[in-house]
Amino acid sequence: MAATTGAAPLPTEATTFTERSRSAGLGRRKMKNALLWGSCTIALALVVSPLLWIVIGVIAKGVSHWQWSALTHDHASASSPGLLNAVIGTFTLMAGIVVIGGVIGIAGGIYLAEYCPEGKGKLLRGASEVLSGVPSIVLGYVGFIALVVGFKGTGIHWSFGLLPAWIVVAVLVVPYITKSTEVAIRNVPTAYREGAESLGLSSGFTLRKLILRPALPGIVTGLIFAAAISVGETAPLIYTAHWSDHTNFSLIHSAFGGVGYLTYGVFEFLNEPSAHDHVLANDAAMMLVVIVLLLIVVSRVLVSLTQRYSPDRPQRLGRSGK
Amino acid sequence: MTEGGDFSGASRREPVSLKASSEVGVSGELSANAATGRAPSAVLACPTLMAREVSVGFGSKTVVSNVNLEFHPGTITALIGPTGCGKTTLLRSINRMNDKVRGYWRKGSIELEGTEVSEAHMDPLVLRRRVGMVFQRPNPFPMSIRDNVVVGVKVHRMAPRHELPAVAERVLKHVGLWAAVADRMSDSPFRLSGGQQQLLCLARALAVEPDVLLLDEPTSSLDPQTTEIVEDLLRELAPRLTMIIVTHNLAQARRVSHNTAFLYNGLLVEAGDTKQIFEAPNEPETVSYVSGRIG
Repeated sequence: MAATTGAAPLPTEATTFTERSRSAGLGRRKMKNALLWGSCTIALALVVSPLLWIVIGVIAKGVSHWQWSALTHDHASASSPGLLNAVIGTFTLMAGIVVIGGVIGIAGGIYLAEYCPEGKGKLLRGASEVLSGVPSIVLGYVGFIALVVGFKGTGIHWSFGLLPAWIVVAVLVVPYITKSTEVAIRNVPTAYREGAESLGLSSGFTLRKLILRPALPGIVTGLIFAAAISVGETAPLIYTAHWSDHTNFSLIHSAFGGVGYLTYGVFEFLNEPSAHDHVLANDAAMMLVVIVLLLIVVSRVLVSLTQRYSPDRPQRLGRSGK
Repeated sequence: MTEGGDFSGASRREPVSLKASSEVGVSGELSANAATGRAPSAVLACPTLMAREVSVGFGSKTVVSNVNLEFHPGTITALIGPTGCGKTTLLRSINRMNDKVRGYWRKGSIELEGTEVSEAHMDPLVLRRRVGMVFQRPNPFPMSIRDNVVVGVKVHRMAPRHELPAVAERVLKHVGLWAAVADRMSDSPFRLSGGQQQLLCLARALAVEPDVLLLDEPTSSLDPQTTEIVEDLLRELAPRLTMIIVTHNLAQARRVSHNTAFLYNGLLVEAGDTKQIFEAPNEPETVSYVSGRIG
């Protein structure tokens, strides 16, 4: 400004003052920056440390006494009681819960994001949030009354089995899947929809190819969460699947009194007097952690295969080198 | 800034017929185009698109009032005017892209070859195949470059599956993108430059062989070189298509369009031959706008 207006240069004292204050300002900014970075690092450590502690601790305890018979024998085995019935039961329960909860939750999320009028959407979202806040043991008890022992006159008296467990835990996970699906669909760029509309593409095609595909990572995150809940829940399963020492696929009226699952092993076997049961409890905990970690890794790999054309995918050189 | 009601007298009551003329254009560019295949005047008697008494708005707000315009085959019409004057709203009303916007309403009629675009038997999907659109920012789909070009052809079943690669090649050659993408047709379109992506979107719109092409500031995010390529392409397409281009770039409107319509505060102030609009406008508001005094 001084050069263009022809004004005299600022006095030396003022210049020094300006430089001093500029330097002090820079120092303050650097300090604030370091403070913020430090806080973020501490927060990250606080989140990651318990996770590592649990994962490493559980795996270390499981590995130290690991016996393969845990995976080859049912708990009913007289020679070497294992967890085969619980592992198969956990996967069967998880598959059913993810299928039932996934279909309903994804359909609900699509409806809320794409087709639902605003007023109705608020009501449904509110209901979904209330449902996600209901304690799982309450849902389990409701399932026990409604499905297992049955209300008088309803005719439903399924006893323990896979079906009441699938239904009750599916109800538990639907709000999470609905929410993650809705958010993922809303995050798909409007430009895709506009482009599809301007070409006269049908809404069904647009939804399948241009909305659900880019939204897949978010939807799968919801499904992983649902799967993790389904393998990690205990209270609603005690009320609906109960427990069995045998491998069992009964949907209802289970011949062996219920279906086995790993969380029951962790919950119950530690209270047993047998040292072998304590080892099985640690094995069950380790298997739960490994199943959840594998779920996350496998689903992420599968999702990345579907995102080949995503704009967020890191740019690589084409064959032409352009 | 003048308020909306001030120019109400300037809004045309009768449709302004925007016919192509061999004298239209700047520096002879468009005259040359006319000589290379613009539809003869006998055909021009029947406009491809006609807007009659069109008013458009959202809720209680009226964005465009009482617009009458005709768009003839083989012509490029530029819609010019300051930001917020209703150019894009009017453009998006033609292919019913505003239909799902909350509170949207339209009065008057917009006819595509004599048929009202909102009539019950006019399927919006078919309408949009016939009236293509290119947007301000390139919006390729998250699928391969080849699929981007032929997606409309595939969905509208305009060619058997085995012919789709040939369709893609033909259209990409037409827009001048083939050489750059020939060996990476299975790549993501997001690896192309912004200009190439916009050419790809143009190819996608042209692949379904529309009768009308709506262009909403198609070069505003492009560099001058790519802008020139797009403009050359529009001039080349003109004899076969009816095009309407919304632009803030007055020089571009002068370069590419045969006709120009000037909107101001939601009213059609003046429309006619581009040369006349820029060199001898009739309305004082047009004079002010094209000379840079307003807008």
